[in-house]
Amino acid sequence: MLFVAAWSLATFGGYVSKTFLADPLTMLREGWDLLVKFGFLYDIGMTVWRVVGGFVLAAAIAVPLGLLMGAYKPIEAFLEPFVSFARYLPASAFIPLLILWAGIGELQKLLIIFIGSVFQIILMITVTVGNTRRDLVEAAYTLGASDRGIIGRVLLPSAAPDIAEILRLVLGWAWTYVIVAELIGSSSGIGHMITDSQALLNTGQIIFGIIVIGLIGLISDFLFKAFNAWLFPWKLA
Amino acid sequence: MTTLVIDQVTRTFPARQGHAPTRALEPVDLSIGNNDFVTILGPSGCGKSTLLRIVAGLDHPTSGKVLLDGHEVKGPGADRGMVFQSYTLFPWLTVRENIAFGLRERGVPEGKRNAVADRFIQQIGLKGFENHWPKQLSGGMQQRCAIARALANDPKILLLDEPFGALDNQTRVLMQEMLLGIWERDQKTVLFVTHDIEEAIFLGSRVLVMSARPGRIKADIKIDLPHPRSYKIKTSPEFVALKERLVEEIRAEALKVAAEA
Repeated sequence: MLFVAAWSLATFGGYVSKTFLADPLTMLREGWDLLVKFGFLYDIGMTVWRVVGGFVLAAAIAVPLGLLMGAYKPIEAFLEPFVSFARYLPASAFIPLLILWAGIGELQKLLIIFIGSVFQIILMITVTVGNTRRDLVEAAYTLGASDRGIIGRVLLPSAAPDIAEILRLVLGWAWTYVIVAELIGSSSGIGHMITDSQALLNTGQIIFGIIVIGLIGLISDFLFKAFNAWLFPWKLA
Repeated sequence: MTTLVIDQVTRTFPARQGHAPTRALEPVDLSIGNNDFVTILGPSGCGKSTLLRIVAGLDHPTSGKVLLDGHEVKGPGADRGMVFQSYTLFPWLTVRENIAFGLRERGVPEGKRNAVADRFIQQIGLKGFENHWPKQLSGGMQQRCAIARALANDPKILLLDEPFGALDNQTRVLMQEMLLGIWERDQKTVLFVTHDIEEAIFLGSRVLVMSARPGRIKADIKIDLPHPRSYKIKTSPEFVALKERLVEEIRAEALKVAAEA
């Protein structure tokens, strides 16, 4: 509220030039135009699909790998140095390289999200699984569980709520990568719209784009939370 | 009939950063069977839990070996059920699923394992709580459930590591009676670790007293109190006499620990 009030004061009061910052009403009007005239919904759809696609790909590889690294110390010792190193490589720095390798198509966008998320997820899940209560694992062994039984029916369910929480967190970061990826060499998506609007000095559209990103983030966060609560009733009981 | 033989088992924990290696267990020799209820009594830190963990296969002896019906124990297995002092029910499984866990690991079909679980739920007085999460149970209920979980696997021997240690006194007494009731009915070899003298006498058909670290069996006392036992036995002259004797044994060990500290 305060934010919108300060924004209105700065723009309607004429303290800031319209060239640099559109007022809230202009922003809404521009946003409406975007949606009905310029097919912005398609851009939003493209961006969501890229985030979800790259993220699902990363999760599909990172969750099992993190689980194995958390369960087996030798696997962790073998992979951890590389993953720790790779985690610090900024995904955006890969953009030029990925454009060379994968062109400027969808694959390149997905790969950026993938690179940005996969190492983070692996490391966080490794730590979570490694912290599984030792006595639960021992109890399962004395009940006749095999190593596979331990992983599938102790380590995984025990870590599952934390894994879901990690995924929710990393999904937020994936949103940052997708916009960066779309700012460069893209012909669709919210990021692409933002660069286009920058060329036209249309700050109203830029701000509308940013707000849309925030809203989608908020919605996905809410869905994730609701889904987790439904998935893990034992945690809330 | 199950026979557990502990043959010259020692355990030394390796040295760590300037500390000398810790000798937790002196050579321990022991033979348990006959569906005996054997309680191991000792001051804290005497290595009684270490001994139990070695029998369970969760820890390995530095030398010597453990034989269960002639087979050497190499690791944990379903033939030795274990109940821990900490609450180890799986929080993501309901009471019924927890009790059926071992059966599920062995591939028993769902209908059959639920039937077994429900029988044990009845026995431990948790009817109506089948679908509760462990979080929703009191400490005493959780431990009853953990005992049922171990028994549902029909192990050759039941190992209990101070299972009632974290419970309040009233609950503990009720739990002792319940466990004794199950044992009197089902007849199973039980190895029960405790530092509570009354508990050791009340439950045991045989009490082993362990010395202070490094642990060894200091006394092996047969408890000839008749079964079924009720809580009233705790005030009988025989019980009191046994208690007096054990208090002296344990006190000597506790003093040694205190002198070292």
